[in-house]
Amino acid sequence: MSIWFVITKKELLDAIRDRRALMALLLFPALGPFVIYFMFNTIVDIAEEAKDLTLPIVGAQYAPDLVDFLAQSGIKLAPVDATYPTPSNDHVAAPYVYPAHLLANIREKIADRTYDFVLLIPPDFTTRLGKSSSVNIELFHESSRATAQAKMSRVQQTISAWNQETASLRLMARGISPTIARPVSIERVDVASPQARAQRILGMIPFFIIVAAFVCGMGIAVDATAGERERKSLEPLLVNPIQRSSIVVGKWMAAATFSTLGLLLVMILNLFALNLVPLEQLGLSFSINLTEIIGILIITLPLAFFATALQLFVGIFAKSFKDAQAYLSVISMLPMAPLFYNIFNTEDRELWMSLVPMLGQHMLLADVVAGKNPPLFDFAVAALSVVLFSLVFIYGATLVFKRERIIFS
Amino acid sequence: MIEVNSLRKRFKQVHAVDGVSFSARDGAITGLLGHNGAGKSTSLRILYGLLTADSGSAVIDGVDVMREPQWAQENIGVMTDAHGLYPRLTAREHIEYFAKLRKLSTDTIVERTEQLIAQLAMEEIADRRAEGYSQGERMKVCLARSLIHNPQNIIMDEPTNGLDVMTTRSVRTILQQLKTQNKCILLSSHIMQEISALCDEVIVISEGKVLMQGSLDELLARTGESDLEEAFMTMTRASR
Repeated sequence: MSIWFVITKKELLDAIRDRRALMALLLFPALGPFVIYFMFNTIVDIAEEAKDLTLPIVGAQYAPDLVDFLAQSGIKLAPVDATYPTPSNDHVAAPYVYPAHLLANIREKIADRTYDFVLLIPPDFTTRLGKSSSVNIELFHESSRATAQAKMSRVQQTISAWNQETASLRLMARGISPTIARPVSIERVDVASPQARAQRILGMIPFFIIVAAFVCGMGIAVDATAGERERKSLEPLLVNPIQRSSIVVGKWMAAATFSTLGLLLVMILNLFALNLVPLEQLGLSFSINLTEIIGILIITLPLAFFATALQLFVGIFAKSFKDAQAYLSVISMLPMAPLFYNIFNTEDRELWMSLVPMLGQHMLLADVVAGKNPPLFDFAVAALSVVLFSLVFIYGATLVFKRERIIFS
Repeated sequence: MIEVNSLRKRFKQVHAVDGVSFSARDGAITGLLGHNGAGKSTSLRILYGLLTADSGSAVIDGVDVMREPQWAQENIGVMTDAHGLYPRLTAREHIEYFAKLRKLSTDTIVERTEQLIAQLAMEEIADRRAEGYSQGERMKVCLARSLIHNPQNIIMDEPTNGLDVMTTRSVRTILQQLKTQNKCILLSSHIMQEISALCDEVIVISEGKVLMQGSLDELLARTGESDLEEAFMTMTRASR
C-alpha cells in the first residue's frame, strides 16, 4: 500500500468521525437545490395566478359595460356586498364621496389578506359616462405584496384597454378618427417573462456546483494542515521516514474525495429539485440526459482537485483552525468571481477565459445547462489549466512543508 | 549508537547549538541535561532529521543523518516534545497508523501493537478515542507509536515531563527493559532526579555548548559535589 494512500485513508476515517466536516459535506450541497426549487415554484405560482385571476369588485351593478369587458378578458369577478347611497342626478358635477365605513371596511379586508386588491365603482358611473365626462374608479391594493403585482398589472392593463376603446367610440360618434387622440401608441414587450427568469435560475446551477467543490473539501483541508499544527501532531508525523510529498498528496486526495462527493451530491440534488419543479408550465423543457450529466461531471471534477490543492497550500501557512478559516473564507469567495464576470460580460468567449480556473468551467457548465454542446477545445484548455494550477499548489505546499519554521511553530 | 560532532545551528541571531559533541552507546540510557533553551531539543531535532545543522555531523549507527535522513528515521524511534494526538482516533488506530507509515507487515503490526498495549498497560484506552485522554494516557500512545518498529536507537525529548508518579515509573520500567535489550537510548530532561534515577551517562549542556559528559559518578568526582544538582550548578557557574 502506498504511503499517500495510508494517509488518505486515515484522513478520511478522521473526517467521517468529524461532525463539522460531515455537516459541511451534507448541508451545503442541499442548499442550492433548495433555493432553486423555491425560486422556481414562486415563479410558477406567480405566472399561474396571473392567468387565473379573480377581481373583487364593489358596485359591479353600476358599470355593466366595464364588467362585461373584464369578464370577456378572462378576469373572474367576485362582487363584494356593499350598499351605498346613490346620489341624485344633479350632483354629477362633484366627484362621488364614498361613505367612510365602506372605505374602512375595504382597507381592513386587504389588511387581513381576505383580498389582495379591490376595485371600487361609484354609483354615478353610467350617468357620468353618458354625459361624456370622466369617472374616478378606485383600485385599492397593497403594494408590498409581491405576489399580487402580476395580477394587479393585468387588471390595470385590462381597464386601460377598455378606457381606450370607450374613448375611440366617443370620438367616432363625433366623426373624429380615434388616431387623432393617439399620435403615438406604445407596444410593450415584456422581456422578464417567466421563461427568462427561469432561465436565469437555471444559470445559478453551475455556480452552486463550483462553490460545492470549495466548501465540501475545506473541512479536511483545514484539519490536515492548520489542524495538525494546532494540535501539535505534525512533528510526530514528520519523524516517520516518509516523503513530504507523500504526506501532501495523501491529504490532498482525502480532501478531494470529500470535494468530489460534494459535487456529486449537488448534481443529484439539483436534478431531483428540477424534477419536482413544474417546468412545463413555464413552457420550459429541461431534460438532462446521462451524457450531459457525465459531461458536467467531467467538467467539474478537476475543480475538486484544484479547490482542495489551493486550500491545502493556504492552510499550511495557518497556525490554527481560526487562522485557516479566516484565510479560507476569503478563498471561498473566489467561485463568485466568474459568476460576476459573466453577469457583466456578455462578449464571446476568448482563449484567456478558458485558462482562468473556474471561469473556464463556469462557461462550459453554462453551455451544458443551456442545452448547448461546449466546444471540446475549450474544455481541454480549461481542464488542463486547472490541473496545472493544482499541481503548482501541491508542489508549493510540499516546499512549505519542508520549512523548519512551519514545523516548529 | 549515536554520535554528534561539533554541531552548530543558528536561528537568526541566536546560536541554539554552538559546537555540540557527544555520544550515546548501545545498552545504556544517556541523558541530555540542561535548562530550558539550552539547546537540548535543537540537538535532538537535528538527530531525527527535522532540522538541518549549519555545520557538524550527526551519526546514527555509522550513517550520517544529513546524508541519509530516510535511513536514519527508519532506524530510530522518536518521541518528540509535541505529543499531539488525533482526537477522533483510538489509541490502537494511532499506533497502527504509524506502523503502516513505516510499511510494517500486517502480522507484525498486529503482534507489536498487542505487545505494546500490554507492556504499557493501555488495554483500557486501546479502543477509546483520544479525546479526553489524560496526560499520562497521551504519553503512552506517543511512546507506543514511536516504538512500534522496534528501533535500535530511541530518542526522547522530555519523556516524563508532566507525568504523574505512576506513569513516570512505568516509563522508567520500559526504558530499563529496552536497555537490557541492548538498545541505545538518548533522552533529554531538565529534571535532575529524573536524570540521576535513569541515566548511565549524563551530558550537561548549557547555552548551546556541552559542558561535560560522563557517568554520574564521574560528574560528581570532577566537580567535587555530592549530588547532581550541585554538580550542575557548579558547572554552569564555571562556564559563565
